[in-house]
Amino acid sequence: MSAAQVAPRRSRGFAATVGGLLPHPTRWRHVTAYMVAVYRREWVGSVFSGFIEPIVVLVGLGIGLGVLVGDRAAEITGGVSYVAYIAPALMMSQAMQFGAGEAAWPILARIMWVRIYHAMVATPLKPTDIIIGAIVFIGGKVAFAAVFFAAVLLISGIATSPIGALAMIGVSTLTGLAFAAPITAFSVTQKTDQGFSIIFRLVITPLTFFSGTYFPIENLPDWAQFLSWCTPLAHGVALSRGLALGTETPNALAHALILVAWAIGGTVVASVLFRRRMLK
Amino acid sequence: MNLSTSNATALIRARGLTKTFGSRTAVDAISFDVRDGEFFGFLGPNGAGKTTTMRMMAGVSPRTAGTLEILGSDPDHDGPRIRGQIGVVHQQETLDQELTVRENLLVFGRFFGLAHKEIAERADQLLELFQLSDRAKDQVEPLSGGMKRRLSIARSLINAPRILMLDEPTTGLDPQARHLLWDALQRLKRAGTTIVLTTHYMDEAEQLCDRLVVMDQAKIVAEGSPRQLIEQYASREVLELRFPDGTSGISKAALDGIGDRYERLAERVIVGCESGEAAHARALERGLTPESWLVRRSSLEDVFLRLTGRSLDE
Repeated sequence: MSAAQVAPRRSRGFAATVGGLLPHPTRWRHVTAYMVAVYRREWVGSVFSGFIEPIVVLVGLGIGLGVLVGDRAAEITGGVSYVAYIAPALMMSQAMQFGAGEAAWPILARIMWVRIYHAMVATPLKPTDIIIGAIVFIGGKVAFAAVFFAAVLLISGIATSPIGALAMIGVSTLTGLAFAAPITAFSVTQKTDQGFSIIFRLVITPLTFFSGTYFPIENLPDWAQFLSWCTPLAHGVALSRGLALGTETPNALAHALILVAWAIGGTVVASVLFRRRMLK
Repeated sequence: MNLSTSNATALIRARGLTKTFGSRTAVDAISFDVRDGEFFGFLGPNGAGKTTTMRMMAGVSPRTAGTLEILGSDPDHDGPRIRGQIGVVHQQETLDQELTVRENLLVFGRFFGLAHKEIAERADQLLELFQLSDRAKDQVEPLSGGMKRRLSIARSLINAPRILMLDEPTTGLDPQARHLLWDALQRLKRAGTTIVLTTHYMDEAEQLCDRLVVMDQAKIVAEGSPRQLIEQYASREVLELRFPDGTSGISKAALDGIGDRYERLAERVIVGCESGEAAHARALERGLTPESWLVRRSSLEDVFLRLTGRSLDE
């Protein structure tokens, strides 16, 4: 064969690249359904822990810290008990931990060890369909856990209205997604799980303390406040607290939009990086 | 190179297909046709470019240059549609260990957009065909290597693909499991499935393939049916002389003319000839003292040796 027979390929145009990234309108749900099929084996256990976890957290941190904070609670909280102040924030912190954790090991495992993503990209599914399906599943799982948390808050009287509690489930889900999507983008670039311990130690755990969870964000120096508002958790906490206490949250729409932006932006970046990794 | 002219029935058609990773050329301007209903093989050592070629055919690796048509379409543009009509079995397991045997099939069928009922019926047929029905409700994890591989193939057939692509399907399996798998693949071929396989086992290629290409260092070095290749590149019989102390001390003059041709490996001299017995007699006349010797019919291994000067497992 002569070299003349080798037709050089024109590089893919911008439109073709974008077309390759666009998801199929419905196929992602088969990926979510696959995750649900795996999850069916363990969901009974997660119902149990779903109820126990918020109770343990509230009793341990809320009441324990509440006693410590004592009469000074009103200075910090602006009138409500310390438990009522931190409980809606802890719900968001749980959503963050959950969303981030589910986007870390389970995603990397399906690339590196279970390798089923390699089989999935060999079907009509596009990499973007797989990423969307996986992230939607995480959102569902966060929402599922949030139902129990909201129920505990409502029963204990911390959440002041059923509608507020319901909305908190939504905010919780959004907060979980706002972490799950960017962490997924990180996971799809990894070859080992060592990067996760760095992310969790240096980002996720510190955020629990500096996002207005245990004390108002205004107590932080300006630069730290700015950093806090750059991450999703502070926005989730602000919304959740207002909903629980039945007070109006300034800039509520902006908070929600920032969470949405994190979720969508993270999904787009994750899709691009996942495609680059799987289709090379 | 003898390229097929009957393109009308070619399900896969590659011309000058090339793939580079940075400065490394994994597949170097190869051309081939896979025809409807045939069992087509890529034989070559590890690193020859077989898996990369397979990935391009499966529509999961964009090519660097050349043209490639799968079922009449370009996989770089029609990827999802093409992938819907092929089945792929990867070299490494890609089953979900947390699901049962049957669930693995059910879940996978949905990725092709098939209806639940259709998938369920097909899953049961496939489990039957691959002798996995009695393990349908078991988890995947404790299955033997051979069973997992059969399940992988069953799963890749859930969409009733027109082309089945298998990357090194029997690597790591024991001989009995290999033969079971070969039988299953031959049944599939008789049922009309076009099968493409990569392998570095010459006996596998010889047993299964109607036609094959021999790949070495990113290029196709020969193409034909196993019989054609053996006739073209190897003599009727092969005499193997073993020299455990090495072959480097044997002079060229002592080896020339024993048979039609010879290849000198580290501890063996492989002599291609009409009659192995006669060649052995000539070797003894010349004072060669091999520790042991054997005569066999020529195989694809000898074709590869002749074409590259190396043995397949080196």
